[in-house]
Amino acid sequence: MRIPPQAKDRSTLVNQKQLIKLANDWFKSRSWKSFAFQKDSWKAFLDGKHGLLNAPTGSGKTYALWIPIVLDYLRQNPDYKTKHKPGLKAIWITPLRALSVEIEQAANRFAQDLGSQLTVGIRTGDTSQKLRAAQKKQMPDLLITTPESLQLLLSSKGYEKTFKDLNAIVIDEWHELLGTKRGVQIELALSRLKTVAPKMKIWGISATIGNLQEAREVLLGPGSKAFENSVLIRADIKKKITVKSIIPEKMETFPWRGHLGLHLIDEVVPIIRKSRTTLLFTNTRSQCEIWFQRILQKYPEFAGELAMHHGSINKETRLWVEQAIRDEQLKAVVATSSLDLGVDFAPVETIIQIGGPKGVARFLQRAGRSGHQPGKESVIYFLPTHAMELIEASALQKAVKNTVVEDRIPYLNSFDVLVQYLTTLAVSDGFFPKEIWPEVKSTFCYQALSEAQWEWLLNFITQGSQTLQAYDEYKKVGIEENGLFKVNNRAVAMRHRLQIGTIVSDAVLAVKYLGGGYIGTIEEWFISKLNPGDVFTFAGKNLELYQIKNMQVIVRKSNVKNSRFPSWAGGRMSFSAQMSELLREEMFTASEQEFENSSIELQALSHTFERQKKESIIPKKDEFLIETFKTREGYHAIFYPFEGRFVHEAFSSLLAYRISLLSPITFSLAFNDYGFELLSDQEIDMQQVFDNDLFSAEYLMDDLQKSLNATEMARRKFRDIAVIAGMVFTGFPNKMIKTKHLQSNSQLLFSVFRDYEPDNLLFQQAFRETFEHQLEEGRLRLAMERISEQKLVWKQCKKPTPFAFPIITDRMREKLSSEKLEDRIKKMMAQWGDL
Amino acid sequence: MTKTLTLNNQNFILHPSGAMFWEEESMLVISDVHLGKVSHFRKFGSAVPQQAVKGNFQKMDAVIAFFKPQNIVFLGDLFHSTLNKEWLIFATWLEKISAEVTLVEGNHDIISPLKYDALGVKVTPEIIMHNFLFTHHPEERAGFFNFSGHIHPGVKIHGLGRQQLKLSCFFKSKDQLILPAFGEFTGKHILIPQGDDEVYVVTNEEVICLND
Repeated sequence: MRIPPQAKDRSTLVNQKQLIKLANDWFKSRSWKSFAFQKDSWKAFLDGKHGLLNAPTGSGKTYALWIPIVLDYLRQNPDYKTKHKPGLKAIWITPLRALSVEIEQAANRFAQDLGSQLTVGIRTGDTSQKLRAAQKKQMPDLLITTPESLQLLLSSKGYEKTFKDLNAIVIDEWHELLGTKRGVQIELALSRLKTVAPKMKIWGISATIGNLQEAREVLLGPGSKAFENSVLIRADIKKKITVKSIIPEKMETFPWRGHLGLHLIDEVVPIIRKSRTTLLFTNTRSQCEIWFQRILQKYPEFAGELAMHHGSINKETRLWVEQAIRDEQLKAVVATSSLDLGVDFAPVETIIQIGGPKGVARFLQRAGRSGHQPGKESVIYFLPTHAMELIEASALQKAVKNTVVEDRIPYLNSFDVLVQYLTTLAVSDGFFPKEIWPEVKSTFCYQALSEAQWEWLLNFITQGSQTLQAYDEYKKVGIEENGLFKVNNRAVAMRHRLQIGTIVSDAVLAVKYLGGGYIGTIEEWFISKLNPGDVFTFAGKNLELYQIKNMQVIVRKSNVKNSRFPSWAGGRMSFSAQMSELLREEMFTASEQEFENSSIELQALSHTFERQKKESIIPKKDEFLIETFKTREGYHAIFYPFEGRFVHEAFSSLLAYRISLLSPITFSLAFNDYGFELLSDQEIDMQQVFDNDLFSAEYLMDDLQKSLNATEMARRKFRDIAVIAGMVFTGFPNKMIKTKHLQSNSQLLFSVFRDYEPDNLLFQQAFRETFEHQLEEGRLRLAMERISEQKLVWKQCKKPTPFAFPIITDRMREKLSSEKLEDRIKKMMAQWGDL
Repeated sequence: MTKTLTLNNQNFILHPSGAMFWEEESMLVISDVHLGKVSHFRKFGSAVPQQAVKGNFQKMDAVIAFFKPQNIVFLGDLFHSTLNKEWLIFATWLEKISAEVTLVEGNHDIISPLKYDALGVKVTPEIIMHNFLFTHHPEERAGFFNFSGHIHPGVKIHGLGRQQLKLSCFFKSKDQLILPAFGEFTGKHILIPQGDDEVYVVTNEEVICLND
């Protein structure tokens, strides 16, 4: 039957008004007021649009999208009160399992109050086997799940039937996924679901990022029908954020380097006392452990009112802490990024950020954890761990004032994720390449994928690559007579399901008491350095290592005071481009000498600045500073681009490489967010550096490739790629493969590809990721172009300057040499003397 | 590129590959090749391409071509583990070797001596010639100078500008010379020289005595 378009329009309109009235009445019954962005979202969804909603956490974004999903169901099923139509209708993707409970509660509240009979279920890595089986038989109407669990569903038989009536999918915290391979997983899943569930509307929810429009394009597919029929809705909730720096009374004794910030512990305590609940954010888990321990040591009265929250602590404890915050039982919580996201903690009034947050978005996100309710003010204190960080504090003040935020750069051509995805499809019902190719091609990530690359990937999953053809392990997928790509080997299928995901972490071991009782997980490399009897601090407790058995760390309580703190990898972050720019501006302000008019942070630093000016200079906007001096370690040359440590890592190895071409020389490289150091046993001929124009952006890519470093970095990246693409197996849940073995397996593959199959796409991907995501080649190029406009100022100093000090004392170093090994040995022998 | 040690009027030539040649007896000594170590990784979740396996054999071919020995002695840990594909490659490789081959058993050598016997390789716990004692584990026995392996000796050296290098070496003490591991992917154990110890580090091209 054909309905005249006009008539149809009118009927929905009438209907829509009634529907929205239902929602408004419900809001009134709770004495809430709906926001404009919520109403806009309801309307857009009911009009059949796709979209991206830009709204901060705690603004009521769940209701912005869940409500129209329910209303749409009511519209389509007028007899909903008496008849419930079973089957999956909507999926809600959340990057953090911890958030799923909150979403479930909110969703249930509305669904039940309206008598819709809609059911809500959660499916994540924590979901029991029993519940999963039950869900498989009968899916809830709304499923709250993670990107990984969604992929797992795609790997189960008959998934098309499960998803066919899907009416909506919501990707929550899309900004967190965008710019990660989990985001790519979502892109691929959506490309499949668009075909399987043609009625499905796609919505994303994102906090404010620099590239919101692009975020929408990535979500919906560039130039797709969904994209054309989509909207971007901005919540436009202006949140008042107050930033205060904790400035020590005596700046003279403030350390020039360091990352713990413990010297300011006495200034922190009054802040905690003054506020209902305070969250202290640290950048690493070990820092979190140390702060927790030290506060309790110095202020034992906080016992029972102070808690700790980080990713290695067991789930029950974390959930307990989260609940205790909500119930206002805690005065303060020391946390890491594990508390960055999600859940609403009403009693939190104050945030303390310990050490530089490295990015504006992260800082704002954390600030937003206080004064969570709409209309309330967020208060965040910044605690600098060393003098230079006060400049960051000053820069952050500006960032907050001008709402500067970073972009999230989406991945392109992630072959490893595609290999995993294709195997996933082959594990479930199998796939025909000609059906899947256009879907994959329609995603943002693979829009530039060539047919040759596609063929290579298909060949890779069926035959293994050129050098791996002799091994059956790599022939995972078979091709059936009708051309269907399918995995028929149960062992292959099981291994694959176990390894679905794109987060590759170091092997972790469970920490348990000798008498039983799980405490959390710890990274293998830390524990492997300890011997039985050694005492370490974990989850705020002093534990004695009893033994390590079957990848389990057995411990007992200890009363020993001196213990070691585990440190977790991944603690080193880099300044974002926005942050770097703000920092440079602050630096220029400082160089102008007008401290009276500058921020209190810069004023507090005047002592350090005076010292810097005495030994060297503070560079002005048009100046690029180079300092050289000699210590008993050798000849130091420090360069200050102020571009963040990742860019400096690339810059230092590039420059070291170029200098090493002039004459044989060996360098030790160090870098931080401000600059980098080339240390050598010989003096660099700086005039040669200038004369040969070594800061030029010409041949940048070529030189970077050749600077030794790139291969090493790509080798590290390759480990993750090898795991994601399923080339190495990480083990069974209770029998994980040791990191050491994983490492050597992937390294071996890397070496083989380098020597015998350099055109392997996964091998090449490792280099591409190194340049694009780690070395940030694009930013490096911009920085070099900027420097080419600047005046090079070379200061030959007598001793290390305040700017140089944190860099030259860094012990994490890279090496680069153009000298013959034999010559180096002979030179060292001369310097070394006695055996 | 090589270095010659004279002990009791006999000449021992140290080669950059980590092998040693006893001139008077035309005997090539190679320690800790750990064949099959690379293939051993297969058990831990990944397959390893054949090309990676060939390196050790090419290295042995080169050093044999250089010294043209009549005897070849492996000072233990010739094979890393149990029989695997590399045993077949080893058997084929042996066919073209004209020298007499002996294996001094090491802790990793768990492949049955009968298997070696079938290939014409003699297996023995130790060799005594003149007053020289060849064993896998370093030993002190009165009246003998001991050649051994097992340790994978290495040293760490430092220089200005925070430079440091870890290098494989021949490690000589009063009555003892420990050979470096010959095999690829074998790792090294760092020793700290004391008193009269002499250290001969090996690079791809040279043997360098650090005591010179």
